[in-house]
Amino acid sequence: MPHQEDIRLMAHLMRRAGFGDTREELEERVSKGYEAVVEELLHPERQPAIDDELLYRFFPGYEGAGALPINQANWVFRMVNTKRPLEEKMALFWHQLFATSNSKVDNPLELTRQIAIFREYGLGTYRDLLVEVAKSPAMIFWLDNQGNRDGAINENWGRELLELFSLGVGNYSEDDIREAARAFTGWTIAPKIPRNPYGRFHWLFDYKPEDHDHREKTFLGYTGNFNGEDIVDIIADQPATARFLARHLYAFFVADEPHVASWNVTPPVDPEAIDLLADAYHESRGDIRSILRVLFNSEFFKNARFARVKSPAELIVGTVRMAGNYKGFKPGFNNLALECGWQGQGLLNPPSVEGWHTGSEWIDPGVLMRRVNFAARIFGDVSLPGVQAIVKRVLVNVHVHGDSSPQAIVEACLDAMGPLEVNSATHSELIAHAEKCGDLAWSTPEEFRATMRNVTRILTLIAASREYQFA
Amino acid sequence: MLTTVAAGRVYDYSYCIGMYSQDGRGFWAPQDFVLGPNGRIYVLSRGVEQLGQRITKINLDHEFQGQFGSVGEGDGQMVWPRSIDLDRTGRVFVSDEYLNRVTIYSEEGSYRYHWGRSGSEDGQLNGPSGIAFDSQGTVWVVDSLNHRVQSFNQIGEFQSKFGKRGDGDGDLEMPWGICIDRQDNIYVADWGNNRVQKFAPTGELLVKFQGSGAGVGSLKGPSGVAVDSDGDVYVTDWGNHRVQIYAADGQYITALVGDAQEPSPWAQTYIDANPDIIKARRRTDLEPEWRFRRPVAVNVDADDRIIVLESYHHRLQIYNKLKDYEEPSINL
Repeated sequence: MPHQEDIRLMAHLMRRAGFGDTREELEERVSKGYEAVVEELLHPERQPAIDDELLYRFFPGYEGAGALPINQANWVFRMVNTKRPLEEKMALFWHQLFATSNSKVDNPLELTRQIAIFREYGLGTYRDLLVEVAKSPAMIFWLDNQGNRDGAINENWGRELLELFSLGVGNYSEDDIREAARAFTGWTIAPKIPRNPYGRFHWLFDYKPEDHDHREKTFLGYTGNFNGEDIVDIIADQPATARFLARHLYAFFVADEPHVASWNVTPPVDPEAIDLLADAYHESRGDIRSILRVLFNSEFFKNARFARVKSPAELIVGTVRMAGNYKGFKPGFNNLALECGWQGQGLLNPPSVEGWHTGSEWIDPGVLMRRVNFAARIFGDVSLPGVQAIVKRVLVNVHVHGDSSPQAIVEACLDAMGPLEVNSATHSELIAHAEKCGDLAWSTPEEFRATMRNVTRILTLIAASREYQFA
Repeated sequence: MLTTVAAGRVYDYSYCIGMYSQDGRGFWAPQDFVLGPNGRIYVLSRGVEQLGQRITKINLDHEFQGQFGSVGEGDGQMVWPRSIDLDRTGRVFVSDEYLNRVTIYSEEGSYRYHWGRSGSEDGQLNGPSGIAFDSQGTVWVVDSLNHRVQSFNQIGEFQSKFGKRGDGDGDLEMPWGICIDRQDNIYVADWGNNRVQKFAPTGELLVKFQGSGAGVGSLKGPSGVAVDSDGDVYVTDWGNHRVQIYAADGQYITALVGDAQEPSPWAQTYIDANPDIIKARRRTDLEPEWRFRRPVAVNVDADDRIIVLESYHHRLQIYNKLKDYEEPSINL
């Protein structure tokens, strides 16, 4: 029987490094040990990937889809069904950092391909990832680099590369922006096959030497005949880049931080943690896997339970993973994708290059109702396999301990749904509701059905609690 | 190559039909088609999620003759339609992998009835995909997730079965498409085992067409199969985006890779309506557009025309198998 504290810690890790696990999955992971599970998460290549051939056999319309909701559904399918939770979580992280939106790109297929870059390079070095992102046709179009030519500089990509993708405001000059932009002249998209009448075709990166500015540039104090990759090399070695990335990782995996737009005037919540992560960046020469190893094994991470508001994608994917109602191939993933949008996180379509405003900004009264209703509706559906498993676990727990008091029932429900830790006010409300339900009994089919209803009502209330909104 | 010459056979690209469309004239992620009387073709669109499921009636002259079917679980509706065939009276039979049933429509598309129950017992279905009629009017259904083939009469009464999960001779792994030749032999696209197996009506294995991977003669996730009047076998090599051609004994002959350099008339209408698209097409390499992408089903008509359906490009490409071809002078 695993120690309860080990289960709680593992649940925390899996909410952050993944989309949450069922209680049974947590027990299996605990048996491997915390650090071993961290290593397993950090090496997604050791687990089977989603089989694209199988996916596109069942969902042929997903492949090359031109519509945004279908591309969103494709990603949600992967988040729900992946055996590589950190790989998908990193894709979500990089999508927030390198926010590229269909509102302008108008090619969700290319955004899907950008997400695939995040999967492939998301745990490698930041330098390599930056180069791949710079070559991503979606990013090129998003930040206008297809119009960046020798003699007609477009600074958009160069500016955002420094401001939002690496150094952060205050760590570069306007001259550096211009020189970076010059180095990326000629990085463009090959002539495209236009959409329809046979669907969409991939955009391809193209380097046009005739459009590149081959003259000398001076960037962050370095002088040379730089091309784009040289600029990325310089950026990746900057202490400001290490701190910038450290803060992003902290905000996504540890605890809510103010939005990136205010970082030049707002200090980090935990400066020591940022220092540690920045040092890990330098020690590993920008290896994301190494930085995350330090992060997940740190005390500040382990002590940060329920310190982040779940993003809509985390809430929705985590809920259906636990409920088991979207396991495998079935219709309806577009509904989950649409729900993400209705809750304020339209995947592949962030509001701006600054990404979503996270933390408490995910919540407003209308959205909160949607979030609560979504989770409560699912945990109130006793036909769902995951809900049945939770109810069964609760009943077994009550039976084994011979205690069917309201307190015991509430504790068993909180344990089976997380374990979740709730404050005293929430706890009292749950107890009060459980008292109204009376004793659990299952001697007759009628009693059993009534017991199922009563337990699922408590699960519904837990899903509607403040605490369920946090990861 | 518009004309492919190999082992005494000549395949000459002719033209293509179709384009992408969520509704009406065109197809969306089509999965199968069947050649009907009077030149009619029924094309089965899978669509995606809750959109686009339908059967489109066309002919070889690009004439759009209407459509029937819609998304849903009600009578006559579809969720994951996969395969289509006609009985001897011209009624349309459509399998649905999600609903585990076969729906029967009239020749023009009026709903008649459906049959099929979920499960793994005899006569039950789990992911019915390819369906085909034999000369006796028996309908053979690839029961994909039960890794077997079952036969039924036209009202859905179970008759026989063969196959079990595995990779040995005669075993099946998520089989997909099916066709039946003039001798009632049964060809099954054994998707998960990267091969096609030919069975006698009794279920006895006769020939294997295989070779795993992307190499010459190999298959990767075959989806559909057809046989011409000479006994040559055509396999849509779905995972390798080509059609593999074999002799009756399993000997590899050649491959077709798609040649639709000229858009279909429907597609050309779309292009001509937008000058920006015309300009964009003139400055790019269009080869990815004319090659096969996810060829998913193939049929051979009475004139030995080989007709290939592409799921990704939402169209049919048509090749003639020439009988009177003479090699041109090499001194051109």
